[in-house]
Amino acid sequence: MTEVHVRTEPQLPVHDDDLAARTTALAARSTDRHQRSRWPQRLRSFGKHLGLVALAVMMIYPLIWLLSSSIKPSETIFRDVSTIPTQIDMSNYTEGWNALLHPFGHYMMNSAIVVLGSLVGNLIACSMAAYAFARLEFRGRRVWFAIMLMSIMLPIHVVIVPQYVLFSQLGWINTFLPLIVPKLLATDAFFVFLMVQFFRGIPRELDEAARLDGCGHGRIYLRIMMPLAMPALATTAIFTFIWTWNDFFSQLIFLTNPDMYTAPIALRTFIDATGQSSWGPMFAMSIVSILPIFLVFLFGQKYLVKGIATTGIK
Amino acid sequence: MRTHRTRRGPRAVGLTAGLLAAALALTACAQGGADTGGDAGTATTDPDEPVTIRWSWWGSDTRHTLTQEVIDLFEEKNPNITVVPDYTDWGSYFDKLSVSVAGGDVPDVITQEERYLADYASKGVLEDLSQLDIDTSKIDANILQSGTIDEALYGIATGVNVYSVVADPQAFADAGVEMPDDTTWTWEDYVETANAISAATGGAVYGAQDYGFNEPGFSILARQNGQSLYDENGEVGFEPELLAQWWQHSLDMQASGGQPDAPKTIEVDAGGPEQSLVGTNTGAMAWFWSNQLTALSNASGRPLQLLRVPGESQFDRTGMYFKPAMYYSVSSRSSHPEAAAKLVDFLLNDPEAGAILLSDRGLPANTDVRAAVTDKFAETDKQAAEFLTSLEDEIVDGPVVPPAGAGQATEITKRLNAEVLFGRLTPQQAAEQFVQEVTAAIS
Amino acid sequence: MSVVSELRRTARPGPQGRARPAPLRRGDGRAAAVFLAPWFAGLLLITVGPMAASAYLAFTDYSLLTDPTWVGLENFVRMLDDSRLHNSLRVTFTYVLTGVPLQLVVALGLAMLLDRGMRGLSFYRSVFYLPSLLGGSVAIAILWRQIFGVDGLVNMFLAFLGVQGRGWVSDPDTALWTLVILHVWTFGAPMIIFLAGLRQIPEMYYEAASIDGASRVRQFFHITLPLLTPIVFFNLVLQVIGAFQSFTQAFVVSGGTGGPADSTMFYTLYLYQKGFTSLEMGYASAMAWLLVIIVAVLTAINFFASKYWVFYDD
Repeated sequence: MTEVHVRTEPQLPVHDDDLAARTTALAARSTDRHQRSRWPQRLRSFGKHLGLVALAVMMIYPLIWLLSSSIKPSETIFRDVSTIPTQIDMSNYTEGWNALLHPFGHYMMNSAIVVLGSLVGNLIACSMAAYAFARLEFRGRRVWFAIMLMSIMLPIHVVIVPQYVLFSQLGWINTFLPLIVPKLLATDAFFVFLMVQFFRGIPRELDEAARLDGCGHGRIYLRIMMPLAMPALATTAIFTFIWTWNDFFSQLIFLTNPDMYTAPIALRTFIDATGQSSWGPMFAMSIVSILPIFLVFLFGQKYLVKGIATTGIK
Repeated sequence: MRTHRTRRGPRAVGLTAGLLAAALALTACAQGGADTGGDAGTATTDPDEPVTIRWSWWGSDTRHTLTQEVIDLFEEKNPNITVVPDYTDWGSYFDKLSVSVAGGDVPDVITQEERYLADYASKGVLEDLSQLDIDTSKIDANILQSGTIDEALYGIATGVNVYSVVADPQAFADAGVEMPDDTTWTWEDYVETANAISAATGGAVYGAQDYGFNEPGFSILARQNGQSLYDENGEVGFEPELLAQWWQHSLDMQASGGQPDAPKTIEVDAGGPEQSLVGTNTGAMAWFWSNQLTALSNASGRPLQLLRVPGESQFDRTGMYFKPAMYYSVSSRSSHPEAAAKLVDFLLNDPEAGAILLSDRGLPANTDVRAAVTDKFAETDKQAAEFLTSLEDEIVDGPVVPPAGAGQATEITKRLNAEVLFGRLTPQQAAEQFVQEVTAAIS
Repeated sequence: MSVVSELRRTARPGPQGRARPAPLRRGDGRAAAVFLAPWFAGLLLITVGPMAASAYLAFTDYSLLTDPTWVGLENFVRMLDDSRLHNSLRVTFTYVLTGVPLQLVVALGLAMLLDRGMRGLSFYRSVFYLPSLLGGSVAIAILWRQIFGVDGLVNMFLAFLGVQGRGWVSDPDTALWTLVILHVWTFGAPMIIFLAGLRQIPEMYYEAASIDGASRVRQFFHITLPLLTPIVFFNLVLQVIGAFQSFTQAFVVSGGTGGPADSTMFYTLYLYQKGFTSLEMGYASAMAWLLVIIVAVLTAINFFASKYWVFYDD
């Protein structure tokens, strides 16, 4: 789906001479104004950009401060107010890396495993369900669809206790299964919804053509829908990555063995273990743990923004 | 058309199944993690089979380093046993433990505390240590008794310590305030001394750190007045007015500057010995367990002194008591109880282990070990040992073992203390609420 | 289309307006079964099953170590007397009722500042979105705990300006507001949705209005805001649901205690403590259902109220 969600500018109604005349006059006047008042215009624009940049810096400042503090020696963090560190000390990173039972990379790897499993699960299971809702006709489709939509808004807390009991009896606590298996079963209904919207935008003529060639649903799904749905898949992948990497609550509940901790849990253990003392290493590891998200953000900005925008528009 | 579709149908199914199987296989590989204790399997009987057990404890960095040394020594002597350390700070230890228990993932050797021992024993989480191969012949009978509930030995105390006031003589000297005579000083003297120090240093050095977040301090006051925190019937054994008095002293000190203001107190409290006022040389007195003296001295870098708590001679009787510092327990669900027992036995009875741990977990419970290591004690440990010895004549009895549910008192005390310090509850209101909540917790 | 409008359409039977050609396939039941199998399994095992179990557990006393014992309404009666529960509701409502509107106002304000086609738009958009991306992470919560601490960054700045700072995070009167500020800081996602919504308003309306002499302010109130109300509504619904379930920030900033003095004890945090720390899982399940009811009621209120202020031009 390319630009379907953005409404194009409506044409000026041709019969309304009055309006047309007024608009032309406006255009003419504004060119004049443009030439006469270029300086105040420029100044205003400059001022606005200045304001925006200042605002942007203010918004980002905590992150910048976090980064700069992570490379300062611990003791100077609170004495040296400046953002540019006067002394650079990378030992915070090495210290923080080895501060817990395992090197921090171990916990990052745990997070990576969970994220990978979630990615596979969401991409496959959600797109399959989305295909069914978007393209297949079956009894009760609208009811099931409504149920799927409502499940998006269900708080996880109402199911977490029984889930815990269930997984505990299956012996899955302290494995990654409770975190990954639900994704394989398309419980992230948000992505099902996202993909349904996308699939609906793909012209049915393609389906029909394929059908004429003798393709069954499986082939249509694999050969036509999925390749065309790359943007939606990319959006799903990116959001899954970010949400799973940051998912604290479920990981806190299902992973109690320190060996299995993921990055957010390990980080939190860090802060509790060292109290208020070693901010330097803690900041360093904070940076390390959010780095993957930041990278995904840098490279996937386009999809992120589009994805968010798409979900919000009527 | 239709025939084509039905022929393609199974293929779609096969494809789906294949994909899902691949994904599941991926997650099966992901099912990593140590196979430490918790899975209720048959215990191994072969003593030489490689075995991994997990040992949990709480503490500060000093303790963690010491403990790692002890573990290394144990592993040297028992090459087939690997000990996985599992440590956190005191504040989150029992939260984490209860979650682990709920997850079926209990450490094999658990460090326990008197407030929680009954709780966990009643839930069937702890093994009866008398059934395991642990030599308790050299351990004081009283100590063994302190870990015995209903004839079963659920935890062996690692040693004893005493809740006391840790003072920084240099801070006193700098402020020009005389060190109080700890055998005679009253609670009012304590408040005045603290205020005097703060006043003399203009607040640069506080007289004292707030004591109101830890209920053993109140237990002592209760005992001094012939009451007690818990009575033999497993109920609260004190009048709320007394508890209100205890908190009132804090408020008085806060108002006159003897202790920091409430926000600072909250932040400092979260930090343990290393971040305490005494530990950072910004305070002259603080209430700590005697076995934390070493950690405090290391952090502060100065010689510190242990004082009796105020009011020991103010009322009818003394209130201080020897507390089992902590207990070693073994999980009843451990798959390697023999290995766990070996570790506990080693920690309690091996003089080399004693030589490393010294008095970090209290004065060693095994009398032989205690005699052997006393001269190896660092200055601070010797100091603590001498202090404990000096109290032997004054300490008349010990408090009742806290009932099941007493563990919640820790959180209740902390929270109500914050309410009092911030003026959101009066001491009397807080005291009454304390009684109400603790009664509910232990019933 | 947004989740919200989909639900509205599903709920409203009657003419849908779209003349769809008669479906060319009927009875895709078998294919649907295959494609929906994972989703359906997930629905039963991970969602509906646990929901039913949780409904049962809410009437029991269950500590996970022993079997559940039926106690009838005792948990719910206890909730009526539980002052800490009432406090957590108060804390959470305060957070939602102040944080969400503030955040939306900031998001809209910034979206308005970023005119279409202005230079550096995508740069600004990304920069303003970044906090939102990282805001849910443990790393940022740790950062927040530090910068609002007694020796933290905020107080350092205030000292610069000669103002005596206090322990924002350790004072019960201000601790919650630090979390509200954190929530407002993460305005990026609603902002992007507003931006997309703003783009959909045809330039023509603004031009016509300025021809008629309307000031920018009047244009905002009479053109922008009314046309934007569906987006505002969407953001409001989702943000309220999300904010009510906040957990990570409160957990990390307060060190898991909800302190000081229960001032940051969010409802979900109290639920977690009751369920997973005190092992009172029956009570926690009852609390979870109360959460569902509250969220459902808030959402329903939103939907009903929307009739009065949301302007749809479909």
